[in-house]
Amino acid sequence: MSVVSADVVIIGAGVSGLTAAYFLARAGRDVVVVDKGIVGGEASGRNGGMISERTDEPAMIPMAVEAIKLWATLDEELGYPTEFTQQGRLQVAVTEKDMDDLFSERDAALRHGLRADMVDPSQIRDMIPGITDRILGGLFFANGGHANSQLTVQAFAWAFQDLGGRLFQNTVVTGIQVDGSRVTSVETSAGAIAADMVVGAAGPQTALMTQLVGVHVPVAPARVEILATAPVPPLFDIALVGNGLYGRQAASGNLLFGGGTHEWADVHLATDPDKPNTPLIRNIARRLAELLPCQADTPVIRSWAGVVEQVPDMMPIIDILECPSNYVVVTASAHGFGIAPATGKAVSDLVLYGETNIDIGAFGLHRFSDIGPDWRAELGWNPIPPRF
Amino acid sequence: MESRPLVVVGAGVSGSAAATEAAKAGVHVTLIDENPVPAAIAGLNVPQFFGQRFSGDLRDRALMLERVAAASEAVTEAKAAGVDVQLGTCVWGAFRNSDSSRMLDGPQLGLANDERSWMIKYDRLILATGARDLGIAFSGWNLAGAVGANGAFCLMNRYEASASRRMVVMGAGNLGLSTARMALDRGIEVAAIVDVSNSVRGDVALRTALQREGVKLYMSHTVREAVGRFGDIESVVLVEIDNNSEPVAGTEKVIAADTVCLAIGLVPNVELLSLLGCDLRFESGLGGYVPDRDDWMRTSVETVFVAGDVAGFHEGMVLDSEIARNQGRLAGLAAAESLGAIGKDEALARRADLQAEAVDSASNEVNSNWASWLQSLVTAGGPDIFVCPCEEVTCAELNDLHPPRRLKWKAERQSRRNLRTLAKDSPADSDQVKRLTRVGMGYCQGRLCREQVSMMLAAETGRDVADVPIMSYRPPVRPLPLKVLWPREEAEQVRRDWPKWFSPPRQVLG
Ligand SMILES: Cc1cc2nc3c(=O)[nH]c(=O)nc-3n(C[C@H](O)[C@H](O)[C@H](O)COP(=O)(O)OP(=O)(O)OC[C@H]3O[C@@H](n4cnc5c(N)ncnc54)[C@H](O)[C@@H]3O)c2cc1C
Ligand SMILES: Cc1cc2nc3c(=O)[nH]c(=O)nc-3n(C[C@H](O)[C@H](O)[C@H](O)COP(=O)(O)OP(=O)(O)OC[C@H]3O[C@@H](n4cnc5c(N)ncnc54)[C@H](O)[C@@H]3O)c2cc1C
Repeated sequence: MSVVSADVVIIGAGVSGLTAAYFLARAGRDVVVVDKGIVGGEASGRNGGMISERTDEPAMIPMAVEAIKLWATLDEELGYPTEFTQQGRLQVAVTEKDMDDLFSERDAALRHGLRADMVDPSQIRDMIPGITDRILGGLFFANGGHANSQLTVQAFAWAFQDLGGRLFQNTVVTGIQVDGSRVTSVETSAGAIAADMVVGAAGPQTALMTQLVGVHVPVAPARVEILATAPVPPLFDIALVGNGLYGRQAASGNLLFGGGTHEWADVHLATDPDKPNTPLIRNIARRLAELLPCQADTPVIRSWAGVVEQVPDMMPIIDILECPSNYVVVTASAHGFGIAPATGKAVSDLVLYGETNIDIGAFGLHRFSDIGPDWRAELGWNPIPPRF
Repeated sequence: MESRPLVVVGAGVSGSAAATEAAKAGVHVTLIDENPVPAAIAGLNVPQFFGQRFSGDLRDRALMLERVAAASEAVTEAKAAGVDVQLGTCVWGAFRNSDSSRMLDGPQLGLANDERSWMIKYDRLILATGARDLGIAFSGWNLAGAVGANGAFCLMNRYEASASRRMVVMGAGNLGLSTARMALDRGIEVAAIVDVSNSVRGDVALRTALQREGVKLYMSHTVREAVGRFGDIESVVLVEIDNNSEPVAGTEKVIAADTVCLAIGLVPNVELLSLLGCDLRFESGLGGYVPDRDDWMRTSVETVFVAGDVAGFHEGMVLDSEIARNQGRLAGLAAAESLGAIGKDEALARRADLQAEAVDSASNEVNSNWASWLQSLVTAGGPDIFVCPCEEVTCAELNDLHPPRRLKWKAERQSRRNLRTLAKDSPADSDQVKRLTRVGMGYCQGRLCREQVSMMLAAETGRDVADVPIMSYRPPVRPLPLKVLWPREEAEQVRRDWPKWFSPPRQVLG
C-alpha cells in the first residue's frame, strides 16, 4: 500500500463508516476507509432496507427525521441510485395486543410532532392488495420508506471515491498504535496508516476494536435472518410491518421479509463471522403467507442472515473517546441503515467541529459508565455454549 | 423430529450405489431424490436446464413417479437391498451448528415434496447430488427450446417426456456426443453438433457412429443465434469462427431445429456442501468448485461424504458410469464404517474389488474451452445477449455494472464505473457484482449464470477464474412456494415467543 497517512482513517465500510467518509470527503478531508471485506459485506448490505422515524426509541427521533430529509435527495447528490422510495410505512395489527401497541405508538408519535394516522382494514386493503382478512387496523407513517441496502452502500462508496476518498477493501485492521493520549496509526494487513483522527465503525466488532485501545464499549453481536421470494408483479411500495415481520417489495418485485428470534453471537476481530440461516426461515415463510395469503404460491428463492450490533439500550453510540482523544466510536444498534445518512453527518460534524448539528446527546458513552465487564451475562446476551 | 442413521441425497448411479453398499453393510439407509420435480419448478429451469421442452406428461405426478422409479436399475437394486427410497423429495436446506448458530440439537436437513416441507436429523450424510448444466449465453437462449445436456437426459431418459423433435447440440466432447446419441435413440433428429474447437474432443467410436448415421459436425463454429417468432426456437444460425474466436462473416448456416442443447460442460451441485461449510476448492478439470475429500470420499466435515459428479465431473465419466458407481460404493462403505456397522478391516476388504484407477481418473482443465465458447458466443451474438435470463441482465450491463434497468438510471458518474474499475478497488467478487446488477438473483437461483459471471469477471479483470470466489449459496436451494416451505405444525411456543425486532429495551434492561 503506497498510502502512509490520512486526515481520517475510518475502520469499516459499512453504511455507518461510508456515510461518515462521504461527508468528510465532501468537506475536503483526506479520508481512508478500510474494511476486511467488500463494501457493505456485512449487516449494511444484508438488511431489510427499512427507513423509519424510530418512534420505538424517542431519543432517536430527531436523528431519524434528519436522516429521512437527507435520503430524499441522496440519489441526485451521490450520482448513483439507492432505490429510495418514500410511500410511507404501515404497521398492521392482527391481534388485539397489536392494536393496543399501535395506539400507544401513535400517541408517542404525535407527542413528538410526527405524522401518524390510524387506518382501518378497508384502507389497508387498498394500500396492500391481498393482505389477510385478519387485519384489525393499522398505523401509517407517511414519512417512512425503504431503500436497497446493497445499492446504497455502493453509492456512498463510489461517491466517496469520486471526491478523492481512498477505499481499501479486503484489508483487515489488526491493531491501533497509541502514543500517549492519541492514536497515531492504524495497523492493517496491508501496512500501517498514520491518522490524525480515527473513526471506529466496525459494527459488531466495535467492542473488539475499542479494546485495542483499552476502552470498554458495550456492543453485543447477534445473528438475524431474512428471506426473499421470487419477483411478483407490483403490489405495494410501502414499508410493511406486521404479523411479527418487517419487509418490503423491492423494485425488482421480490418480497423481502425478516423477523423472528435473533441469536446472540461472538465475533472475531479479523475474520468474517459466519452467517448461516436456520430452519427459522420456515417460520418466517409461514408468517409471510399468513400476512399475504395471495402470495402463498410464490416461491421463496433465497434467504440470508446478518450479524447486527446491539447496544444495551438499543440506541446508537456516537462519541469521541476520552482517551485516546482522537478516536470516534460509531455504532448503530441494529437499526443503523435507515438512520445512516444522519449518522454519517453527525460523525463527520464531530470529527470536523467537535460538535454536531443533530442532537446526539443521548448517544454518548457516559450513559454506560455503570456497566461492568459482565454486562452481557447480566442481560442474558451471551451466546449459548457451543454444542455440536 | 425424525432421525435417520444414514441419509443419501441423490438417487443417480453414485447415490444408489452408496445406499446399496451401506444397506448391505447393515445400515438403515434413506435415499432421497427430487425427481420427478413438480412441473412448475421444471418450468423455472430447476434443477436442470429443461428449457420448457417437456410434454404435458410432466404434470401427471403419479405417472412421473412411476417412470422415474422404473428408469433406474440402480434404484431398484437399492430398494431390494432394503433402502428406504423417497422420490419426488428435494433437500432444500442443510443446517448445522456453527460459531454463530448454536440452537440446533444436531444437524438437520430440510426436505420438501410438492405439497409440504419437513425437517429430519441424520447421523451420517452422503451427498451424491450430481452436476448441473453449465449455462453459457447465446442470442435466443431465453426462448423455449434452449436446454442443457443433463436437462435433456432427464427429460428423455428419466421422464420420457421430452418434447424435442430436432436438436442442435453445442459441444463435441463426450457430453455432447452422448446427448446426440441418446437423442437419436429416442427418435429425435440431430441436425448438427457444433464446437468452437477445431477437432472433435469426444470419443472417436461414438463420433464415427454418429457421422455414419448422418449427423453433421461443425467444428470451429459457434452459434450466432437461435431464432423463433413466437417464443419458441425454430431455427439456429451457426457461424464459423477464426483462431481468435471471431465469427467469419459470410459463413452463416441456418439450420431448422426446435431445440438447442448446451452440452459444453457440467458443474458439480455443491450447494448443500456449501451450506454445510465443507471445504471447497476450484478444480477446472472437475467442473469448478468441488469438495475436498479423501480416498474414502470423506469431506472436511466429519459426518458428510460425497460421491459421483458432485465430487468432480469430467467428460470421461459420461462414458464410464463405473467411476460414479465406485465412488458411491466407497462412500457407502466409509459411512457404514463410521457408524460402526462394519469394522475398518471389513471396509478395507470390501473395498479391495473397487478398481483404484476408476476412482481417481485424470482430467484436463475445461475452462479454456468454456472461455472460448463464451467469447465466441458473445462476439457472434452481440453484447445485448442475456447473461442472466431470469433478471434479464445483458453482457454489456454486467460489464458496465449497470444498475437494474427498471431504475432507468442515467448519470454521468455511473457510466464511468464498470467491472474493470471495480477490480481496481479489490479483487473481483461475484457476490458484489450480483448485488449491483442483480445477475444471479432470479428464479433459477443463479444456476444458469454463475460460471459465466465468474468467467466474465476473470476475463475483464485479467485474473484466473480459479481466483474468483464462489457466488454464495443460500437456502432454500430449490425455489419453494411459501405454503410448501412453511411448517404446518408450529409449536404454540414459537408463536408466543416470536419477538418484535429484538425485545423492547425496557424488558431487556430489567
Ligand atoms: C437481516 C437484517 C435486517 C436489518 N434490517 C434493518 C432495517 O430494515 N432497517 C435498518 O435501519 N437497519 C436494519 N438492520 C440493521 C443495519 O443493517 C445495521 O444496523 C447497520 O448496517 C450497521 O452498519 P455499520 O456500518 O455500523 O456496521 P456493519 O455493516 O456491520 O459494518 C461494519 C464493517 O466493519 C468491518 N470490520 C469489522 N472488523 C474489522 C476489522 N478488524 N478490519 C477491517 N474492517 C472491519 C466489517 O467487515 C463491516 O463491513 C438490519 C440488519 C440485518 C442483519
Ligand atoms: C448425455 C448424458 C448421458 C447420460 N447417460 C447416462 C446413462 O446412460 N446412465 C446413467 O445412469 N446416467 C447417465 N447420465 C447421467 C450421468 O452420467 C451422471 O452424471 C452420472 O451417472 C453420475 O451420476 P451421479 O449419481 O453422480 O449424479 P446424477 O445421476 O446426476 O444424480 C444426482 C441426483 O441427485 C439429485 N439431487 C441433486 N440435488 C438434490 C437435492 N438437493 N435434493 C434431492 N435430490 C437432489 C439430482 O436431481 C439427481 O437425480 C447421462 C448424463 C448425460 C448428460
